[in-house]
Amino acid sequence: MTTTSPAPAARQAPPDDGAALPLVTVRGLQVAYGDGPLVLDGVDLDLHPGETVALLGASGSGKSTLMRSLTGFAPVNAGTVRVAGYDLTNLRRGDLRRLRASVGQVFQQFNLVGRLSVLTNVLTGALHSAGPVNLAGGFSAAHRRQALDLLDRVGIAHKATEQARSLSGGQQQRVAIARALMQQPRLLLADEPVASLDPKMSHAVLELLQQIAHEDGIPVLVSLHVLPLALEHSDRVVGLRHGQVLVSDRTDRLDAVALDAVYADLDNGDDDGDDEGTEEGAR
Amino acid sequence: MTLTTPQRRTPGRRAPGQPRLDPHERERLERAFSVPRARFLVGVPIALALLVWSSVGAEFNVAKLGEGAANMGEFLSRMFPPTWDELDVIVDLLIETLQMAIVGTVLGAGLSLVVAFGAASNIAPRWLYYPTRWVMNVIRSLPDLVFALMFVSAVGLGPFAGILAMTVGSVGSIGKVFAEAMEAVDRGPVTAMQAVGASRRQVVQYGVLPQAGPMLVSYTLLLFEGNVRGATILGMVGAGGIGLELTTAMKMYDYGHLSAIVICIIVLVTAIDQASAVIRRKIT
Repeated sequence: MTTTSPAPAARQAPPDDGAALPLVTVRGLQVAYGDGPLVLDGVDLDLHPGETVALLGASGSGKSTLMRSLTGFAPVNAGTVRVAGYDLTNLRRGDLRRLRASVGQVFQQFNLVGRLSVLTNVLTGALHSAGPVNLAGGFSAAHRRQALDLLDRVGIAHKATEQARSLSGGQQQRVAIARALMQQPRLLLADEPVASLDPKMSHAVLELLQQIAHEDGIPVLVSLHVLPLALEHSDRVVGLRHGQVLVSDRTDRLDAVALDAVYADLDNGDDDGDDEGTEEGAR
Repeated sequence: MTLTTPQRRTPGRRAPGQPRLDPHERERLERAFSVPRARFLVGVPIALALLVWSSVGAEFNVAKLGEGAANMGEFLSRMFPPTWDELDVIVDLLIETLQMAIVGTVLGAGLSLVVAFGAASNIAPRWLYYPTRWVMNVIRSLPDLVFALMFVSAVGLGPFAGILAMTVGSVGSIGKVFAEAMEAVDRGPVTAMQAVGASRRQVVQYGVLPQAGPMLVSYTLLLFEGNVRGATILGMVGAGGIGLELTTAMKMYDYGHLSAIVICIIVLVTAIDQASAVIRRKIT
């Protein structure tokens, strides 16, 4: 088991295949919840520093489960998952917390604590490094400075003292992105981050995510339902169908026919819901 | 198959391979006035039978209430006018009652919060959850008067025994409600806290408590209102407060004094209720 954290990835442009060592390596991943059927069946995936990868697929294709398996929220039945030097098939509890602390996550429903201020919500991204001092609810001045800088970066610093629930959907998602960045993540996962937003906000949020990937040199994995958004805001597209990778290629040389196959089930009306498995059995 | 409705003759477009609704279930759902389900037809007579059985056992009798209405009116007429000669005694005892309720509520809510962490299924480990729930059930099944008698025998007559009774009694009732308020929080922020690598304590501090906070405060205010009323009862067994004075006035047939006590209690409880409502509005 490797527990040492490699040095932060250098800033770089979106890589061509194999141009940089992948931060995430998934090989032959199989996932099933309890005694249920396989949700992921032999998935291979590499995520390189600085690239934005769009994860496409119909509901139930395994997108959310793949995201969860990268942070130990889904059980790994077979295969290997390595994220930022951590081997998820053989991870102790303490290491799991350290891994999660190094992976920023953005959710469809933002998952902010509505009654807390925008600033406090962002600060919670630093909980793993806050230590016992924050038992009384205080964060250090350095953390506060960092949080305000991040709010500036996502363009919402003027709302710092407002309750998170008073913000619009797009603004809340920006707060959620700032919270994820507060972790100083080595990987950013965004599970359908624009599903609740209008088209204009969707473009703005995805543009921000792609910009973060390029500027901070971290891989960003975004699951999406809307193909044009994926084509416009990603460097690479991975298409899942029935828990298997059907397509994995750079956006600019994507095979349209292969991509059609990703959504072939929808044409047959076989869209059988999200792959929202239980977390029972997950770590 | 006989098709009886136009809707069934031209069913909606359905993608091939899609699971279809059972035809009988569809037919039932299409009816404007649906036939009640079997469980409803069986459940209602059982519920009615249970109500009749309980009414007979509890000697519930509306006619008897009507016959006794005259006596009730006579009792109420004796209570007026109230006598305010001993208003200073009533006010002193009411203040003591209020003080008991304040201390009992703070201690009770604090203890209930601690116990609730162990009784919330989304926070506590299994080995702690079940014993805590069991202890709360035992406490809840005992009336506060029993606790009051127990503490009077332990620490003697006076408000201290009443406070202890209130505190312990709160754990059974409010502890359960607190735990359920924590269980009912939105799971999303909790997941987000876990996702940033927060410890269990941090998840509770930043993910659960801020969400459950308004409910916890609201239930604490409800506990306080209940404790003010409860303190009047506890006094009857010598556990302090205005209860003993109330009981004595009833036993001495001092209806004017009794009336003054009751009016003062009503004023106090109403004032507390109004203040609680204002606080609730502010925090939610």
